[in-house]
Order: sequence, then C-alpha cells, then structure tokens
Amino acid sequence: MKRFKTTKGMIGIILLLLIALVAIVGPMVIPPDAATAMDMRARRAPPSLTHIFGTDQLGRDLMYRVILGTRTSLEIAVSAVVMSIVLGLPLGLISGYFGGFVDNVLMRLVDTLLAFPALLLALTISAVLGPNIQNTIIAIGVAFTPYLARIIRGEALRVAQMPYVEAARSAGTTDLMIMWRHVLPNILPAVIVQGTISLAFAILAEAGLSFLGLGTQPPAASWGLMIQASRDQLDIAPWTALVPGLAVALTVLGLNMFGDVLRDILDPRSK
Amino acid sequence: MKDIVSVDHLRVEFATGDGPVVGVQDVSFTIAPGETLCVVGESGSGKSVTSLSLMRLVEFGGGTITQGALTFMRADGTTLDVTAASSQVMGQVRGNEIGMIFQEPMTALNPVFTIERQLTDGLMLHKGLTQEAASARALDLLKSVRIPEPERRLRQYPHELSGGMRQRVVIAMAMACEPKLLIADEPTTALDVTIQAEILALINRLKRENGMAVLFITHDMAVVAQMADRVVVMYHGRIVETGTVEQIFENPQENYTKALLAAVPKLGEMKGKAAPERMRLIGDEAARAAQTAPKSRKPEVLLQVKNLTTRFPVKGGILRRTVAQVHAVEDVSFTLNVGETLALVGESGCGKSSCGRSILRLIEPTSGEVWIGGRDIGALNHHDLRRARADMQMVFQDPFASLNPYRRLKAQVAEPIQNFGLASGTDLEARVVQLFDRVRLPREFMTRFPHELSGGQRQRAAIARALAVNPKLIVADEAVSALDVSVQAQVLNLMMELQEDLGLSYLFISHDMAVVERIAHHVGVMYLGRIVEIGPRAAVFDNPQHPYTQSLLSAVPIADPRKRRFADDLAFKPITSPIFPLSYQPAKSTYTEIAPGHLVLNA
Amino acid sequence: MTYVLNRLLSVILTLFLITLVTFAVTNILPGDVAMMIMGTQSNPEALAGLRESLGLNDPLLVQYGHWVGGMISGDWGNSLIFKKPIFELLAQKAAASAIIVAMSMIIALALAVPLGVWAAVHRDKWQDTVSSTSALMGVSLPDFFWGILMILVFARWLGWFPSSGFVDPAENFLGTLRHAFLPSLALGLGLMAHLTRMTRSTMTGILNQEFIRVARAKGLAERTVIWRYALANAIGPVITIAGLQIGYLFGSIIVMESLFGYTGMGWLTYQALLNRDLPLIQSTVFVIAAVVMLTNLAVDLLYVVIDPRIRLG
Repeated sequence: MKRFKTTKGMIGIILLLLIALVAIVGPMVIPPDAATAMDMRARRAPPSLTHIFGTDQLGRDLMYRVILGTRTSLEIAVSAVVMSIVLGLPLGLISGYFGGFVDNVLMRLVDTLLAFPALLLALTISAVLGPNIQNTIIAIGVAFTPYLARIIRGEALRVAQMPYVEAARSAGTTDLMIMWRHVLPNILPAVIVQGTISLAFAILAEAGLSFLGLGTQPPAASWGLMIQASRDQLDIAPWTALVPGLAVALTVLGLNMFGDVLRDILDPRSK
Repeated sequence: MKDIVSVDHLRVEFATGDGPVVGVQDVSFTIAPGETLCVVGESGSGKSVTSLSLMRLVEFGGGTITQGALTFMRADGTTLDVTAASSQVMGQVRGNEIGMIFQEPMTALNPVFTIERQLTDGLMLHKGLTQEAASARALDLLKSVRIPEPERRLRQYPHELSGGMRQRVVIAMAMACEPKLLIADEPTTALDVTIQAEILALINRLKRENGMAVLFITHDMAVVAQMADRVVVMYHGRIVETGTVEQIFENPQENYTKALLAAVPKLGEMKGKAAPERMRLIGDEAARAAQTAPKSRKPEVLLQVKNLTTRFPVKGGILRRTVAQVHAVEDVSFTLNVGETLALVGESGCGKSSCGRSILRLIEPTSGEVWIGGRDIGALNHHDLRRARADMQMVFQDPFASLNPYRRLKAQVAEPIQNFGLASGTDLEARVVQLFDRVRLPREFMTRFPHELSGGQRQRAAIARALAVNPKLIVADEAVSALDVSVQAQVLNLMMELQEDLGLSYLFISHDMAVVERIAHHVGVMYLGRIVEIGPRAAVFDNPQHPYTQSLLSAVPIADPRKRRFADDLAFKPITSPIFPLSYQPAKSTYTEIAPGHLVLNA
Repeated sequence: MTYVLNRLLSVILTLFLITLVTFAVTNILPGDVAMMIMGTQSNPEALAGLRESLGLNDPLLVQYGHWVGGMISGDWGNSLIFKKPIFELLAQKAAASAIIVAMSMIIALALAVPLGVWAAVHRDKWQDTVSSTSALMGVSLPDFFWGILMILVFARWLGWFPSSGFVDPAENFLGTLRHAFLPSLALGLGLMAHLTRMTRSTMTGILNQEFIRVARAKGLAERTVIWRYALANAIGPVITIAGLQIGYLFGSIIVMESLFGYTGMGWLTYQALLNRDLPLIQSTVFVIAAVVMLTNLAVDLLYVVIDPRIRLG
C-alpha cells in the first residue's frame, strides 16, 4: 500500500508537471493561428498524421485547441481557487480562532451559502454578470469560498484549543502573533490539501459552465466548450468529445492523486 | 498441576512500509490455573502484543506470529496449539474459554447497541442459549459485577453509563461464559483511583469465586504489587525478569527492574518526614545526596487566592440560552509561599485543572481574587494581564500537544523572551542556550522540531519555555502524568532542583497521590469544585480528616506486595454532578482548623 | 423535543437568509436587468415599460419586500419566457427532478456502501487499491462527460434507453423511469465515487475502535463483527455524508437535465439563466437552496432517530 501510495503520488506529480508544461509552454510553441485556422476540406477529420487528435466541425485542429484549452482551464481554476482562499482564509481563521458572537454570525452566513449548490451559485453569478473569462473566475471563486471558510474555520478551532496556543497566550504572545506564528502554520497543510482538491473541482466547474454556455465564450478555446460542440456529432465524430474529455479527466485525476498523497504526507494525525 | 497457558519463545512481527518490525521476541512464560500473572512494562515494551497473540487478535493489527509455541489447556482437558488453530476453533475459544477486558471503557462498548444485546450475543453464540435464557443470565452477570439498578441497565445504551459502570459491563461480558482465563489489558489505566480500586477488587473477587487464572497487563508497579502472584517484567519486546511478586519487589535481580522499582513512589514512605524528597533514580544517588538541606526560609506569601469561583454555562433550549451552570471551581481560597509546592489533588472533574487555569486567567473566573506580587490578577485589563503573565507560567500534561509541531525548539523557547522584550540578538541566543543547559537538554536540540524528541525531552523543553521569563509561579497541570515512570522521576527531580535553585513556587495539579506525597509542601484535596481539606503535606496524608480524603487515600494502590488492600468488594461514594440550575445558591466554604494550617471543610 | 424545535426555528431563520442571498446575488450585482432581458437594441419605451412592470424603479428594499411578500401569499409572479405563473411551472418540474435525484442517490449508495466496506476491510490490500482507483476515476470525469458516454453507449449504440426527452409520470410511469435512468446513472457514478471514499474512511475509523476488538474477543464471527457491529455504526455518518451531497446533485441536474433534454427543475433553471428570466431565476434559485437546506434538516433528524447517543442524550 505504501508503494501504491508513492506510485500514486508519482503519477499525480508527473501528470501535473506535464499539464503545467503544456499550459505554459504550449501556447508559445504552436503556430500563432493554428488553433483557429479552419480547414474546410478536413472537417470532422478523424485522428491522423496531419491532425493527431483529429479536427472539429469547423476543421480546426483539436490538438492545438486542447493545448490552448489547457491554459484557459488552468488559468481560470487557479485564479478562482486563489480567490476563494484569499476570501475564505481570513473569514475561517477569525471565526475559528475568536469563536463566540463573530463565529456565530459568520458561520450562519456560510451555512446559508452552503445551501446553494456551488454550480448553481456560479452559474447564476456568471449569468447575472455576463459570461466571460473574468466573470467565470469571480463566479467560481465566490461559489467555492464558503466551503473553504468552513474547513479553515474547523481547523482553526481545533488548533486554537491546543495547549501550545494556550502556552503562547500565557507567555504574553498577542492574538495577532498567535494567529500568525501558531495557528496559520498548523492549518496551512489542510489549506494546501483543500486547495489542491478545490483546483480539481474548479476545473470541473469551469468545464460545466462552459459546457452550458455560461463560462468561457467562443472563439476562446475551452475544454467545456469543445465537449459542448461535440454533442451533435457524437455518432460521426466521437473523438471531438473524447479528446477534451480525456484532457479534463487527466488533469483532475492528477490533482486528486496529488491531493490524496499530500493529505497523507501533511496530516500529522495520519502518522 | 498442569499449566493453563504456556508461551514458548514467542516472536511476533509487524509488517510496515519499511519492512518487518519485531513486536516481541523470545517471550516465554506459563500461567497456572487460578493464579494471577502480571506482565509489566513501560510503553513500547510489547506487553499488549503478548496478550493479543494469545487470543490470536494480533493479526487484526497487522502482526504475525513468526516463531514459538502458544499452548492453551481447553476446558475439556485437551491442549490447543493456538498458533495453528483455525479461525473457527479460535472463535470457540475467544469469549468462551478466554475472556478479555481492555483499557478504554469509554470505547469498549458498541455505542449503538443496548447493554443487553452486547451481553447476550456471546452467550447465545457459545452456550446456545435462547434469547430469554441469555437475558436472564445477563441480568445475573450485571448483579455479580455489582452494578446498581441492573434491570434498567440492560435496556440502556453505553453512553448512558459512567466510565466505571462501563468497565463493569465489559468485565461482565468477559465473564459471561465463565472462562478459565481472563486477560486484562490495562483495565484501570483510564479510570480514577477510587474506581480503579473498585475494579481491582472486583477482579480479585471474581477470580477467587470462579477459580480462574488472570493475565494482567499493566505499566503501574503499584497495581502489580497489589494484584500479582507472579510477575513478568518486559522491556523492548523481551522479558527482563520473571519471579514471584515478593521476589521481584524485594529482591530484583536485573538492573532494569531495580531502576523501575526505584522510580516508583510508595504511598506512606514519607511518613515522619517534614520536607519533600527527590525521587530515587538508579545512577543518580550522587545527585540525590547533593540535595541541599531545605533552606529554612522565612515563609513569604507569593500567591493568595480568595473565594475563587469559576462556572461554565450549560447552553440549551431554543435560543441557546444558559439553562444551567457547571460549578467547576466553587469558593476556593488558599495561599502559596515563595519556593514551595502546593499540590491540588482530586479525581477527574473535581475542578483542579479549572482552578489552575482560572488563576492564570486562561479561563475567566466568575468571581474571587487572585493576588500575586501585590497585584489582583482578576482586576487587570487586557494589557496589564499580558505583562503580569511573566510572573506565572504553565506546564501542560500532554508533551505532544503543548509544543507547536511546526516551530523549532529554539524559537519556541525564545518566544516569551521576545514577547516581553527581555533580550535580543546575541543576548537572546545566550539566554536560550542557558535555558537548554538548565533543563539538561543537549544544545543541538535547539534547532530540532518537537517530533524529533521523546516525551520526557519535550516536557523539558516545555519547562525551559516556562522558565524563559523568570516566572515566580509555575502551574504544572498533570505535568508528568503522560510520562513513563522512570522519565517521570527524572522530570520531577529536575523540577525540584529548579525550585531549590531559583526559589520557584509550584501549583502542582495531579491525580497521583504517591507522587504528591513526595514532592509537595502543602496539599489541597478538591472534590466537586471545592477544597475539602488543605494543610501541610504530613498533616493531610498522615491524619486525613475529611471522609473524601480518607477514601481517596484508602484507594491508592501501594507499591508493596505485603500491603494489599483490594481483597474484598469496595464501593466508594460515586461523585455527583457539579451541574446546577441557575437559581442554585451554593453555601460558602467554611473550614475548621484542626491543627495549625490544617483546614477541613465543614459539612 | 427541544432539539427538534430548535432546528425548526433555525430553519425559518435560514430560509429568510436564503431569500436575502438569492435577492442579493440576482439584484445587487451591476447591470440593468431590463436591458439584460431585452437586449441593448430595444426601444426606450419598451424598456421603461418592462422596468415598470418588474418594479425595477422601486427602491431595492421595496422590491425585496414585494418578492418575499408575493411568495408568502402564493403569488410567485410570471415567467417572462414561458409566460406562465412561476409557481405552476415549479410544481410541474419539481416531481421530475425528484425522480432523478432519488434514483441517482439509490444507485450511488447501493454501489458505494459495499465497495467502501470491502475496501476498509481489506485495507492496504489489492481490494483497497481497486476500490480507491475506481473511485478516483469516478470523481475525475465531469458528470456531463459520463452523460455523453451514456448517450453514446446505451442510447446510440445499444439503443436500450432513450437519449433525451421526458414523459409525464401520470401517463406512463415506466416511460418516465426509462428516460430518467441514464441521467441518474451518470449522476450516480460521480456521487458513488465520493461516497465510496467516505464509507471507506468511516469504516476504517470504526474498525480501529476498541469495541471491535472487544467483539472479536467475544468470539463473534468476522462477518458479524463487520456487517453488524461496525456497519451499524457507519450507517449514520454515511447517510449524513450522502445527505450533504444533495446540494451537489441539485447543482449537477442543471447540466444533466439540459444534456438529456429532461424537462425538470435543472432544465428550467438553465432556461431561466440562459434567457435572463429574472423572476424565474430568483424563484428557482430560492427553491433549490430551500430544498437542499430542508433535505439536510431531514437527514439530521434521521440521524437523531438512528443514533441512540443523540436520541437519548
């Protein structure tokens, strides 16, 4: 099992490195208009030597579009998760550390937000703001914040009751310094693990939003959009769905594997 | 007479990610019918692995018996090779011919089944009883372990019973099929001392009445002295020494046994001595001899606590209003002199910990005054309280939780000094080095993280942190309770040495009467939030006046096999709840002074 | 009893907070709702008329009061795109979605509990690896991708189930189930993966507890120990976790119903969002959040019934 865990971790890391490489370097090395060039004679062409992953209904090369989609997806997911951590961390930290009235009010709000399915909240925000990349980030970021805040609050509550926090208090450390020196470092592993897992969910959410036409808008390349476009041609060109679907799956798989192993490594209770 | 159990060169290995690890090796012993064999050892000695192997339960924890023979004499007179028995045969033996009780009564019962169901399923399985017959037998069992209101208990769920009652149920379960061997794995470690006394007495009576053999696993030498016919001492997975209980206690052969016994304080051994004495440590005689005769300093009051009361709200109802109060600390008053130790003793829930925390204002007291160095701590504002805390520091029970796992020890010891701006730069560095020397931690530990240290070393680091701001008072809340006995003795000696050298005062909160007898100048006994008796240590221990103090002292096991006290059934008054309705107005604590400084609470 | 009363009061407070959040998300965000609905090219008089009819010229507080007051009195307003009373629309579509949600939950639990127990019992062995790997695969694919695969395999290639549409259960209940099956299966697979992992970790925790050792020491068969002693303790937490996933399901039906042309609440919500039908958006968002909250409450109360520690505590 330990070997399984390390292999799982290695696979996860390799997958993530490859995907990050594709997202960062990919758009620089492919021909500038390769992803938008339409080859009307080769519409819905199956995978071949000229088009390794085949082409879509407009004759655009799927490999180039998946590479561009990687960047879009990661950009949106990373920004959204960073946003939800930036919003959720102080909220959860203050709530969990101080407790009492502040905690009651903040957590009542968070509980209310948790009644809204994240995808519904993101879809609504995106629809109201008007769908584009920036608003997709905001929509997913806001929708994920209550989950992050909830988890961080639980961790902060646990740590705030540890004897070493009491020891620091009786040694004259101020609340601000206790939060900085003692609480934050001890909840950070949980935040990192949760962040990794949230990234996976953000990738899925972005794909879902774009699939429904309320996320990334054409002509930008996005995995969700590509799957959306493939719906009407599943029989004749199944690769147009499978290629972007596989891209999503591999990314999310990599993040989940990495997150699982990270949880085992960083959680001192698991030792 | 034929032995009921014989273990021969047992070796158990555990599969881990880093290859097999030996749990125990070369372990051999026998148990005769009707005798109590105690296996004693500190944590990691392999004592539990041995007992689990006998039941072949060790496999469920990832262990494998790789060598040796385990022979058990079955009820029909045949011998069973336990290592080779099929799981079907083991199913017949477990719970039927061998009963077992475990350490944690709070988790030993299935929380979603009734007591009746848990008592009867074994009976129906092994004895083929009908539901009615099994229920009748279950009721008899509960009566035999002397549980009050046994009929009602049958229908109850585990969480409705106290810890002591649960352990009685677990014993009833183990006794259900009248086994020839009872394995008790640290059965009283999680229990308060009076409940421990009751359970030990119960095991002794059941053993006598049923003529069964007992394999008793414990880390506590005092319990061994009280229970054992013969003793096996284990260390690091091997047997160190075997013998009758008198041989082991009066004429130990091996150095490890000698050291272990030396470190155990014996209740009553301080009779007639005025001042505290350091713990005995083998190889430390020189240090003990060097103990300076107690300086006859003029008594000077450091800490004065007047009418301290702390209550916690119990929330409930629709609007989460306070519906009742826990009277954790109720009208407590005492004084503590410079350079002395006042021990607060009592059982769990008596309020001794809350009292210590209230003094430091780690929890806010409801009323009362705490004077230290001419200041009333209770009246200080947030800012002044922070300053005032330099005079009073705390050492906690759990050495694993009291240090931040993500900071180096140097930073943690330096933190209080920085907070109060006492030193910086090279001065700070020098001060930290000095503190590490002071608590005898190697200097290279300064850059280590807590997980790289043993429990005793962590507790030294926690003491160094407490000393960093030159406090006058240290509140030690069960500070040595989590440590193995030899480590405990070392840390206690360090604390006493620091007291002599630095003139520290300790408020020593503990449940361990034998330790308190050795190290305290004064003792306060707490019960239901109040001090029921307080006075000089010799007065309280040699002439206890309050009924609770008397029962507490009579329940402490003595580490001397010739002073046995748990032969007959014991029943102590159960501790009642300290939760009262809001309207409850408790009476003031008034005391009678029966000797100079020896006060007893009026009923 | 006080516990139940307590929870009911908190429900009313939460419902009120849900209306606030719903209103805030749909109204306080920037953007002219009338313009959003009619497009930038529409003529000013029509815009003004729409604003008037939607009450957009009133202060926000008045608008909020109108909305909540209307919902309490049973007047939920009219949908702009369907030109029908919203309450009627919602009542119609809710049953269709209830079928999908219930069906996918049953599929998920029926697969996840045995698989999770199996993995926990054989922890760190090949069985565990198989179980956790398949669970990982399950959570790694977007549920709409599962849906597309289902359409491709079961509808297009095998032709066992219809690929889209909805049949009124009052006319042909079996037909409804046939139409609901593929989207439910697609949803259930994603959920199953998550529940398997949770069952595994819950069971692992329980199997490490002392009362399991005690049960073994009593000589009970391993089968009894796991499927009676351990599972009786795991069922409460697993149901709680499953209940919390209702929220996830109600998010996912938006995608899944749209993909399968299954005209339930999710499909309705999607139509409202796509066409910026503000009154309908508000109502669907509110109803979904309220349903999620109430389901969680029901699960909490169920837990009270299951677990004697809370029932009698």
